Amino acid sequence: MEALISELKEEIIKVLNLEGVKPEDIDNDAPLFGDGLGLDSIDALELIVLLEKNYGIKLEDPGKGREIFGSINTFAKYISENQKK
Amino acid sequence: MSIYIQGIGNISIQNTFNQTGFPEPVWYNEPYVRCIDPDFKPFISPNESRRMSKVIKRAIASAKASITDSGIEMPDAIISGTGLGCIADTEKFLSAMIDNDEKFLQPTFFIQSTHNTISSQIAINLKCHGHNNTFVHGGISFECALTEALLLFAGNKVKTALVGGYDEMTPSYFRLLDRISFWKKEIASSAELNLSNTIGTLAGEGSVSVMLSDKKNEKTYAAIDALEVLYKPENFETAIKDFLIRNGKTTRDIDLIVLGMNGDVKGDEIYKTTAANLFENKAQAWYKHLSGEYFSSSGFGLWFAANCIKYRMLPKYTALNSKSVGEFQNVLLLNHYQNKNYSLILLSAC
Amino acid sequence: MPKQVLVTGLGIVSGIGISVQETLASLLAVKSGVGVLKYLQTNHKDIPCSEVQLSDLQMRTMLSIPDSVPMNRTSLLGILAAKNALANANIIPDRALRIGFISGTTVGGMEKSEQYYKDFLENDKYNEYIKIHDCGACTEIIADYFGGFSYVSTISTACSSAANAIVLGSNLIKQGILDCVVAGGTECLTKFHLNGFKTLMILDKVQCRPFDANRAGLNLGEGAAYIVLESEESIKSRNAKVLCKVSGYGNACDAYHQTASSPDGKGAALAMQYALDMSGLIPSDIDYINAHGTGTTNNDESEGVAIMNVFGITIPPVSSTKAFTGHTTSASGSVEAIISILAMQEGFLPPNLNFKNQIEKLSFAPVSELRQNVKINHVMSNSFGFGGNNTAIIFSKLQEIK
Repeated sequence: MEALISELKEEIIKVLNLEGVKPEDIDNDAPLFGDGLGLDSIDALELIVLLEKNYGIKLEDPGKGREIFGSINTFAKYISENQKK
Repeated sequence: MSIYIQGIGNISIQNTFNQTGFPEPVWYNEPYVRCIDPDFKPFISPNESRRMSKVIKRAIASAKASITDSGIEMPDAIISGTGLGCIADTEKFLSAMIDNDEKFLQPTFFIQSTHNTISSQIAINLKCHGHNNTFVHGGISFECALTEALLLFAGNKVKTALVGGYDEMTPSYFRLLDRISFWKKEIASSAELNLSNTIGTLAGEGSVSVMLSDKKNEKTYAAIDALEVLYKPENFETAIKDFLIRNGKTTRDIDLIVLGMNGDVKGDEIYKTTAANLFENKAQAWYKHLSGEYFSSSGFGLWFAANCIKYRMLPKYTALNSKSVGEFQNVLLLNHYQNKNYSLILLSAC
Repeated sequence: MPKQVLVTGLGIVSGIGISVQETLASLLAVKSGVGVLKYLQTNHKDIPCSEVQLSDLQMRTMLSIPDSVPMNRTSLLGILAAKNALANANIIPDRALRIGFISGTTVGGMEKSEQYYKDFLENDKYNEYIKIHDCGACTEIIADYFGGFSYVSTISTACSSAANAIVLGSNLIKQGILDCVVAGGTECLTKFHLNGFKTLMILDKVQCRPFDANRAGLNLGEGAAYIVLESEESIKSRNAKVLCKVSGYGNACDAYHQTASSPDGKGAALAMQYALDMSGLIPSDIDYINAHGTGTTNNDESEGVAIMNVFGITIPPVSSTKAFTGHTTSASGSVEAIISILAMQEGFLPPNLNFKNQIEKLSFAPVSELRQNVKINHVMSNSFGFGGNNTAIIFSKLQEIK
């Protein structure tokens, strides 16, 4: 799980082009959207692409995104439970 | 009805950003040059900036510079002219689509790729609900945007307007245009771009935001008295004479003509013959050896002419002859794109 | 007294017909053009779209354009629609007429560029297509087919492009710069924007359901449509037949988000209000609104709220016709302007297809069945583009202008 969390942080920073943000800056339980990291609906779509491309998990309903991407921990948990690759 | 140039923001391949008047020119000896960019952090937050390509960052920075320069905080309209729009993001999405066989594509590049992202990002940044439009018509895009602004002023729909010319030249698009002979193969010095007697020009890019108002004051650069955009006119010289007559002038009244010459020996011919036939005894100048050529480079031309009028000076390195400019009262800008689209802009001192 | 802007010609090609007559017949027969992709070569053939039922070769043949002339589908559609509009208005473009051509497009030549992009980068095989990639070049292909235009321009504001072209054309006539303007837009389907919209997850897997509580996205479409705008003097001088008048229009920016509309639809409400103000009409004068109504969760609610804010308790019949034509993006402003004008001329309300349940937040439901023998004097057509570019245009029957 540690390795996945670490990898996830690097990927999120890269894909969302979070300049100036380092993996250690992202708290595992902090909200990713709204007040936390300040991500928005476009970022949610990017994470859906990331989910499929890197982990083989296809999310049909973008509405579920907010829940799954709630925090790094919820994100990592979802991946470990649903990963196909 | 005259409209006044109250403020200008200009990011180009010269040191034009946040400068008063004419900076010391930078000359280049290669056919492809990119902008001298400012630090964008004072203008755009990191959260917004992370999605933005250069063309959008430059547009916002130059728009904000024109706001500071003019003191007009909120324009009634935002109208942009761009030949290629957000080409960097378009290329990213297109290449990924081809390389990945239409799979795993990133929405950000698509969203940011539409041509009007520039106008709308400026509006979102300023929270401006006014009229918003984007013109994408090759080398006359900026003049089309300016045309619409003047129409809105004439119809009393706006009191102020932000009009911009924005284009980025990516390495890939430079290559594409190179295939169709847009660029010179080599340049000894851009200072003498017009002397090479070969086809092609210097590839540049830029972002010019012009804040216009229906009222003048001590900040005013110049007045835009008239503008005409023509498609395949039968005779350019006749069109110029008619344009001047309609605006109560003749060629004798013009103190300075500013030509959109770009060093392409074929394309420049019409400028040379027109200047010789109609303005032989008038001061003639050009600017594309400073700006490079790109689809909305006529925006740089407006910056150039406006500064000539405001500071009553013509930089020596832009003069095509040694005629005196006189009072800098009336300046005529002439531009064409591929000998199909022509523009005439009449400016005057205030 | 500001000059009037009158409409003297219509030309349209879309998934529901390649002429005004076919378009009208499809609307009255309640026949949608949304179906399985036939012409666009893509890996996503399962996505329902509305295509113009003509191949490029068929269009070249109809227009007598030889194979040797580089051409893209956007321009072919545009030429077809413009040809019909000019014929309908009985005009041959001529420099003496002071006639302009203003076209809205976003994809431009992308339909060919996406096929040849690798070649563009690596060899000289398709250089002719590099020249016609950009939007302006596509507009000029259409203008040059006819010749005679003295003013040619291209607007690109995504889904409000064609509507903004009509606005610009109207302003040019009002200021006496031109006597006549052929204004509208054209857009063919491309892999580029099909994939683009797919990444936004706003494409429905079935025929779209605008204004329905369970709507799940839009269907893309392609098409081209132009209306001929003319001044009174020009009409008098050639004894032209007038179809209707452009009585008002407005453009405003939502300034909220690049792709999402604001919850209160501020930009949309402003655009509609400006159109009413210009026309001198009050909300209860509008007899039908052809909504933007894409079928996305975001647009329909936002637009609905905006309509409620502007029209209050006097909301006229509203429908979206995008389940007929698909969302023709840059052409939608003029495609739907023509549908609005046809509805007014023929006295019918085009149904909003696939509607079952009203959106909770809205106080109105769209017109879900075809209604005929309806008196329509004033119709409003809405077009809202990415980047919050909102435009509303009001067309009116001549004798009912205040």
